[in-house]
Amino acid sequence: MYKDKKFFDLNYYKFTGSWAWILHRLSGLALIFYLSAHIWVISTISKGPEGFNRVMGVLASPLFKILEIGLWGVILFHAFNGIRVVIVDFWKGSLHHKKLFFIMIFIAFVLWIAGGYLIVSHM
Amino acid sequence: MDKNFRETSKSGGLIWLFQRVSAVVLFILLMAHYVTYHFIGHGVVKYADVIEKMRAPWFNLVQFLFLFTALYHGINGIWMVAEDYMKKRGTRIFVFSILVMLGAILMFVGMLTIFKAGAKL
Repeated sequence: MYKDKKFFDLNYYKFTGSWAWILHRLSGLALIFYLSAHIWVISTISKGPEGFNRVMGVLASPLFKILEIGLWGVILFHAFNGIRVVIVDFWKGSLHHKKLFFIMIFIAFVLWIAGGYLIVSHM
Repeated sequence: MDKNFRETSKSGGLIWLFQRVSAVVLFILLMAHYVTYHFIGHGVVKYADVIEKMRAPWFNLVQFLFLFTALYHGINGIWMVAEDYMKKRGTRIFVFSILVMLGAILMFVGMLTIFKAGAKL
């Protein structure tokens, strides 16, 4: 039977996989929104050096560096939870999907800190 | 896996499979992209440096592959999310058309970037 879904309908499924599913969707939507903006901003390169260098100067400011670290976090969550989804779908990951979720989050968190440090130190 | 994707659904099974294949490709490309652009590089990205990189054909080829895979995965992702909340056929066709158009426009803008900037070499 088709059941109407709500985006945050967690009444029956307040478990790890359910949160992973919702956060995966939200982070995915955020990333495609970001990608659209990214493609549009990068396209200024075809208009010559002045405009492109000005835009890149803005992107090197501290505010955008903070956003860049945030973006790295969203990417890592989506990427590593995505790997978990692939493992669950193609191997017997469904037996360990909760454990896998925490392993993936741990790896993602370590890489987030490492990447964040690199972004700040290379400013 | 008891059933393969073909047995569960026709079109839904295929986009499910493509979403996972593109995910693995993107994982590799995106990690490499972030390392080269956000971790190794120092300070401001400069026009001359990017144009210099675009001299290598393989660079443009990877960029093209990255653009296409990312857009496919992203637009297909929105569709997979949207599909869960739409029942009416009209709404589905409308949303699907919007997404295809969005994907085509972004692909066009991205390819224009690759070709127009590449033509300035």
